[in-house]
Amino acid sequence: MSVAALKQGRERSQGAGLDLALPYLLLAPSVLIVLAVLVYPLWDGLRASAQLYRYGRPIAFVGLDNYWQLWSDPQFLNALWVTVRFVGLAVAFETVLGLALALFCLREFTGIRLLRTVLIIPMVITPVVVAIVFRLIYASDVGMFTTLSMAFGGGHVEILGDPTKAFIGLVALDVWEWTPLMFLILLAGLQSLPQEPFEAARVDGAGPWRIFLDLTLPMLRPVLAIAIVLRAIDAFGTFDQVFVLTRGGPGEATRLVSIYGYDTSFKFQETGYAAAMFVAIGLIVLAFALFAVRLLKRIEPA
Amino acid sequence: MSGNDSGRDVSRRTILKGGAGIALTSTLSTLAGVGPAWADAKKVVIGAFADGGLTPFKEKIIPLAKEQGFDVTFLEDEYGVTLEKWFADAQSGAGQYDLYLLDDPWVPQFGAAGVLEDLGAAGVDGNSKDWIKPLIDMGYWPPREGPRVKGFETAKPTLVTVPFVGDLQTLTYRNDVYPNGAPGTWDEVLEKGKAGVAAGKIKYPVVFRGVSGNPIVTSWYPVFLAYGGEFFDDKWRPTFNSPKGKAAADFFVGAMKQNAPPGVVEFDSDQEGAAILGGDAGAIIQYSGNALKSDDPSASKEVGKLDFGVVPKKEKAIAQLGIFIAGVPKSAPHKANAIEFLKWYTSPATQAKLAEAGSIPVTRSGFAVKDPGNRLIPVALKQLDAGAEPRPRTPDWAKVEELLGIELNKALQAGSGGGAALDVAAAKVTEYLTQAGYYK
Repeated sequence: MSVAALKQGRERSQGAGLDLALPYLLLAPSVLIVLAVLVYPLWDGLRASAQLYRYGRPIAFVGLDNYWQLWSDPQFLNALWVTVRFVGLAVAFETVLGLALALFCLREFTGIRLLRTVLIIPMVITPVVVAIVFRLIYASDVGMFTTLSMAFGGGHVEILGDPTKAFIGLVALDVWEWTPLMFLILLAGLQSLPQEPFEAARVDGAGPWRIFLDLTLPMLRPVLAIAIVLRAIDAFGTFDQVFVLTRGGPGEATRLVSIYGYDTSFKFQETGYAAAMFVAIGLIVLAFALFAVRLLKRIEPA
Repeated sequence: MSGNDSGRDVSRRTILKGGAGIALTSTLSTLAGVGPAWADAKKVVIGAFADGGLTPFKEKIIPLAKEQGFDVTFLEDEYGVTLEKWFADAQSGAGQYDLYLLDDPWVPQFGAAGVLEDLGAAGVDGNSKDWIKPLIDMGYWPPREGPRVKGFETAKPTLVTVPFVGDLQTLTYRNDVYPNGAPGTWDEVLEKGKAGVAAGKIKYPVVFRGVSGNPIVTSWYPVFLAYGGEFFDDKWRPTFNSPKGKAAADFFVGAMKQNAPPGVVEFDSDQEGAAILGGDAGAIIQYSGNALKSDDPSASKEVGKLDFGVVPKKEKAIAQLGIFIAGVPKSAPHKANAIEFLKWYTSPATQAKLAEAGSIPVTRSGFAVKDPGNRLIPVALKQLDAGAEPRPRTPDWAKVEELLGIELNKALQAGSGGGAALDVAAAKVTEYLTQAGYYK
C-alpha cells in the first residue's frame, strides 16, 4: 500500500471517529445545562429533604423522618387541604367559563377579533400587579366594594378579614386571571373540530344543546383534559397572588402549600423540612398528572 | 464588492477591535484593581430594607460618609425578601454586601449560624458607656443577659452586630382628641377616643395592625407588656398565656377591635398609616418610620394635629424595641472598610449628626444634641427611660411569632376569645420548641 493510500485511510478512519462523536459533542452542552439546572438542584433538594437543619445548616441525616413529620403537622395538612380546595374550585370555574367564552367566540361577527384579544388581556398581566389591584378592590377601608356599598348607604365590606370571603376572593382573582388561558386552549380545540358531524346533526334537526352534549363535549374531551391538567398543575404552584393579597391569612384561611413551604424554608430556616414538603407536593402533582394522562388515553378513542 | 462595502467592512472591524480593546482593558483593570480616581475611596456596600426610619441616614449621613472618604453603595429591598436574601448571601459566601442593616429579631438567626464577623475583636467597644444598654445588648450573640437557647448555654457572648438606628414603639395621638397631652392609660385612650368620635373629630379611637403573623403580634406586644406580661420563663417555657397575658389579649381582640376601623383584621402598616394620617383614627402605637410621616404634608392630612407620647400603661408603660442593627458578613468583600465605617458611624460626632438629621441615635451622646432633627427623638428617650424591651432572643422567634399571630388573628376575627387563643398558641409553641430540642 502506498504512503498516500495509508494517509487517506487514516484520515477516513479519523473522520469516522469524529462522525461517531459528533452527535454526543453537539448534545453535550444541552446535557450539561440540564444536569446543572435541573438534575443537580433536584438531587440537592432530595438530599436536603433527608437532613435536619438548625440555624440554616444541616446537622444530622434523618432519612425519611421529615416526610413522616409532614403527615402529623396540622399546619401542613391545613395548607394542603386549602391548596386542594383552591385548585379544585379555581380550575372548575375557569373551565366552565373558558368553555362558555370559547363557544361564544367561535362565531364570526363584527368585532370578534377585538373581543378575542381583549379576553386574553388578564392572562398577560403580571400576577403580582393583578394581586395588588385585587387587594385595592377588596380593601375594607378604601376598596371598590366598600366605596360602592357606602354610596348606596351600606357599610364597610370586609373581604380579606373574613376566612370564607378571603378564600373566595382569592379564587375569584385566579379565575379572572387564568380563565383566558382555558378560553384560548378550548377555542383552538373547538376550531380544530371537523364540521361535518355538526352539519349532519343540524340537518337531522338536533338543537344547540343536544349538539353540545352529544358532539361538542365528547369531541372536545381530550383538549379539555389537557387544559385542565395543565391549569391544575400550574394552580398547585400559585404563590405570588397569595403572597401579595393575603400572605395566607386571615388565620390560615388562604395559606397554600407554596406559602407554607416558603415560610418554612426562608423565614423559619427549616430547609430540610421545607425540601421534604416540596418533594412530597411534587410527587402528589406528578401522581395527579399521571392519573390524568391515563384518563386521557382512555378518553382519546371516543 | 463596492468601495462602500469595503469601507463598511473596515469600519465594522475597527468597531469590533475597539470594543474588544475596551472589554480587555476593563477586565484587566478590574483584575488588577486599577480604576478611576473615585475608586480610591473606601467602598462599602450596605444592604437595607425599605423603611422610613432610614431616610435621615440616606439623605444626610451618606453624603457625610462620602466626605470622610467612604464610597457608599446603598442597596434597598422590600422587607419581606431581605432576610432570605442576606442569609443566603452570608451562608453561601457570595460576598454581595459589606454591611447588612438587619431587623433586630434576625440577630439570633445570623448569630447562631455563625456568619457574621466578631466586631468586638475588630475593635468595636461594646462596653463603652456611651451605648444605650438595651440597644447594645441586642448586638450580642448569645445574649449577655436572659435565657440562652440550646447549644449556646456556655458560649461567650460575641458582638456580632451594633445598633445602627434606634427605634421603638411610641404613641402617636390626635392633640384635639387628647388635649391634655398623651393619654396615660389604655382606658383613657378609649374613653377620650370615644368622646372624640362623638364630637365628630375622628371616626375611631384607635387603629392597629391585625394581619396574621408579625403585624398583629407587633401591635399586641405593647398592650401585653403594659398588662405586665412576660413571654417566656428562663427555661423557654411560654408564659405569655399567664392571666396578665390573657387579659391583654382579651382587651386587644375585644375592646380595641370595637374601637378600631371595621376591617382592622386585614390591616397592615399601609392601612393603619392611612387611618391615622387621613384623620380617621385618634391614636396608634407605631415605630418611628411611620410616626415621622405625621409632620409631612405630602403624607399627612393632619399636620399639626398629631403629637407623640410614651405608650399607655395598665401596670407599666413598656414599648417594644425594634432597631436597625448592623452586621458585617464574614464574606464581605470590603470587610475592613465596613468596620471602619461602623466605627466612624457610631462615634459621638456622627451620632450627633444622625440625631440632628432626624433619626433616633443609638448612643447617649446622640440624644444630648441641642437641636434634634425631629420632635420624636426626646419622646423616644422618655420611652427608653419608661421602659422598652426587645423581643425574645431566639433564632426561632419568627416561627413563635407566626404561631401566636395566627391564633391572635383568629380571635380578632371573632372579636373575643383572646385568652383562649393564647392557650392554643402556647401549646403549639411548646410543641414546636420541644421538637427543636429546647427542653432536652
